[in-house]
Amino acid sequence: MIYELTEEDMWRLLQKIAEEYDVFGSKEELGEVVFSKISSFSEVSEKKSSYSPKDFLIKRSENILEIPRAEKKAVIGVKSCDLRGFYLMDLQILNKDPFYTVRRQNTLFINFVCTEMCPGGFCTSFGGPVLDDYDIQVLHIGQSYFVEADPRYERYLAGFRPASDQDVFVKHSKEFNRKYGKIELNGIEKRMKWSSKLWTEFANYCISCGACNYSCPTCYCIDVYDDETGRKKEWDSCILEGFTKTAAGNVRPDLSDRLRQRFYHKFKYYKLSKGEYLCTGCNRCVDDCPVDIDIKEVITHDYDKE
Amino acid sequence: MTLTICPYCGTGCQIEVDYSGDHYTVHGYTRSVVNEGKLCIKGYQGLSYAGSRDRITSPMIRRGDVWTEVSWDEALDYVARRLTEIRDKYGPDSIAFQASAKCTNEENYLIQKIARMMGTNNVDHCARSCHSSTVAGLIRTLGTAAATGSIRSLKSTETFFVIGSNTTEQHPIIGTTIIRQKKAGKKLIVADPRRTKLASIADVFLQFRPGSDVALLNSMMFVILKKNLIDSEFIRTRTTDFDVFAAEIEKYPPEVTEQITGVSPDLVEKAAELYAGNRPSAILYGMGITQHIHGTENVMSVSNLALMTGNIGRYGSGIFPLRGQNNVQGSSDMGALSEFYPGYIPADSDGVERFEKIWDAKLPKNIGLMLSEMFDAAIDGRVKAIYLMGENPVITEANLSDVEKGLTNLDLFVVQDIFMTETAKFAHVILPASSALEKDGTFTNTERRIQRVVAVKDPPGDAKPDWWILSQLYSRLFHREAYRSPEEIFNEIRVAIPNYSGAKYENLYPDGKQWPINDQHPEGTEILHVDRFTRGLGRFMAIPYKPPSETPDDQYPFILTTGRNYYHWHSGTMTRRSDILERESPNPYVEISVNDAKKLSIRNGQIITVESRHGSIRLPAMVTSKIPDGIVFVPFHFKEARVNLLVGENLDPYSKIPEFKVVAVRVIA
Repeated sequence: MIYELTEEDMWRLLQKIAEEYDVFGSKEELGEVVFSKISSFSEVSEKKSSYSPKDFLIKRSENILEIPRAEKKAVIGVKSCDLRGFYLMDLQILNKDPFYTVRRQNTLFINFVCTEMCPGGFCTSFGGPVLDDYDIQVLHIGQSYFVEADPRYERYLAGFRPASDQDVFVKHSKEFNRKYGKIELNGIEKRMKWSSKLWTEFANYCISCGACNYSCPTCYCIDVYDDETGRKKEWDSCILEGFTKTAAGNVRPDLSDRLRQRFYHKFKYYKLSKGEYLCTGCNRCVDDCPVDIDIKEVITHDYDKE
Repeated sequence: MTLTICPYCGTGCQIEVDYSGDHYTVHGYTRSVVNEGKLCIKGYQGLSYAGSRDRITSPMIRRGDVWTEVSWDEALDYVARRLTEIRDKYGPDSIAFQASAKCTNEENYLIQKIARMMGTNNVDHCARSCHSSTVAGLIRTLGTAAATGSIRSLKSTETFFVIGSNTTEQHPIIGTTIIRQKKAGKKLIVADPRRTKLASIADVFLQFRPGSDVALLNSMMFVILKKNLIDSEFIRTRTTDFDVFAAEIEKYPPEVTEQITGVSPDLVEKAAELYAGNRPSAILYGMGITQHIHGTENVMSVSNLALMTGNIGRYGSGIFPLRGQNNVQGSSDMGALSEFYPGYIPADSDGVERFEKIWDAKLPKNIGLMLSEMFDAAIDGRVKAIYLMGENPVITEANLSDVEKGLTNLDLFVVQDIFMTETAKFAHVILPASSALEKDGTFTNTERRIQRVVAVKDPPGDAKPDWWILSQLYSRLFHREAYRSPEEIFNEIRVAIPNYSGAKYENLYPDGKQWPINDQHPEGTEILHVDRFTRGLGRFMAIPYKPPSETPDDQYPFILTTGRNYYHWHSGTMTRRSDILERESPNPYVEISVNDAKKLSIRNGQIITVESRHGSIRLPAMVTSKIPDGIVFVPFHFKEARVNLLVGENLDPYSKIPEFKVVAVRVIA
């Protein structure tokens, strides 16, 4: 069931949720859209956050000698591309990584469906901003907030006015995807070439900063290490030489090998093993890359001509 | 979210930090005019040092070999009393202060004020070892010792000339600015003994021998002169002493300098044509230019090159000395240098009177001891007490064995730091200080931008912000009221330094402003020397080539050059406490060429000995094509193999910077 809410209704909805959850939202601070505690709906920014809300599920770093307590958090203002990332990660780490699992199961994401494509974004290649899998999904058109909830969360919408148009999401999806078109993936998992010059070309410029991994809503790799305060894990980057290092060194000694691995994982290995591409078209890796390496080039590159 | 400044390099990237339970989340500030949201690996992964259990959390006094924790009052009273006693007994110049480019402007201003009010100009810091030659050189030729443009202005540059700077590793976000421009079709010339990342994508790569900088630059200028690619109008109206300079340049045809530099004349010609012809051109340089016995002359040669082609004072052109430390521009501006009061007022000039008025004190008018001289003075007993803030000279200074000898010969050695460093182990008193994440203040980055540093968390235990410690000491030494906040100190800086007069805390946040910022330029100054040079006319200097202090011979056939790598910072006290950074570069190493390794039967990873006339270290070999035959490179981060044991005490006569970049060594498998 799709409901049609007013701005005041949205605040009531949030208050209902706040009875069970700590409520966070995307919010402007010093011109940045960041995630932080909110106390009213008017604080919520509908702009794309400056970074993915991945930190709610996989902490930048944390001690791992004890499993975290379940803290119920609701996060409003998440963009669909970021949320889709978590559903993709689920395929690999849900119920396997206990840290991720306990947070995933206790975090409610309320995603906002975009009405305009963000600069550089290419979510339409992966279905566009209207998600099939979501917790609570919001489409803001004019004065109305159209809201739909997964059955797990349907109860929060009880009492609000059902929308007269129950196809509003479907229509928006069609229109959005038509308006912005898409970059055809075109069997990228079969097209990519191991010996492509693209990988060495990227390596010429890449400075191994890790931004592509850290910004990515689908990158979940971590490093485990001990220091003087305990055993910890932290976000890792497959671009670094020490990533998956073995006694004999890294099996991918050259930077170009590691860059290729990143794209092969995103567009081939995950697709073959999980049936999905490990990319949502959010463009965050491009936005944060200091040397403008563009993942879209991996998709559009004409490998046959090489 | 707290918006502050990355504590590593002089780029001064703005970072958003969330801190909870000893864990940091870091993002680049996308609205920053400096880094536009981008960060390097040190920005993303390098902050965990602040939460380390190794932090010193209580003041300590050493009695014999035993460290005793004491209260702040006891520690500060003791330090104040001992400093005063030593000054009264041996005179003010028996005391020396070492400031820190890692600390804020406010802190550096305060420490030099304390030194001078005690009656000595013996105050200096690591700028001596990195860009003192830039200060000496550019003040002579242009009048201002700082980058002439902004990082943003590099987007308008047509030709980049990068010499002696591994920019993508040492100033990554400036390096990537160059890469993006290069990708957009701009031209890039790189001059470096090592094949750096920028060298590998350059239009022209001049792989010259360490120490032959002047010969290389003079030969480029020879070509520019011969092909008449000079900017005659600019030379006529804006500069002086061109003729003497041009006469010297006549001696350096590329065919002749090839013997010295190892660079073929056609490459020199190509580089000269690009730099002079495809304007605006910007020169970016680092320690490869400055850390030589002719460091100041290198800097003046760079200045000559820019002046003769009119590549200065125009948007997209200029000279960019890439300042190493986060606040080395600021700490130098603050006068934490033994020859300068704040704002580069010569310490032996009448300009000092101005500070006598502002500080209401009689002040010394002489040139104090420079960093590299303080340890020698400690050995021969001239200096009895050293007060050191946030430096680790036992790892970072040249001629290390003398540093230790000097430190053990002191009556009083006070160290104000966040960790028990190799240097702090020699101290009598340790004052636990704050990291950049635990205090407020300002840093000034490599493009003269004054930016606000904002505390993300509290210091651990009893540790205190450096400004607080200094302020308490100040109050005890001079019986004056202590400063209550960094802002109060900053407001005094605005009075002391005219170039800072228009900067106010509330106007520096979130966007910093570039000095000079004053009544004429209330929004700051992006480009210097637009209509006139600070000193009036830009001055050409005739610079003859002189060989480096050490040249390879039969006994020591290799040239050793030292520096940093991408993952670590200086003596490693910060970065070696970050898991990922330490994982990426866990061991010391010596880079050696494939050919040389083959000749000496050295395998990659094999432990070998590198020996100079001054010392010897053992460390693993890294066999690489990045480095040419006959040259080896060792980073100075590692206490396990302190490369500065090998570096001699040869100093640049103008700036007293040691020659870290050229040491004759032998390699033993």
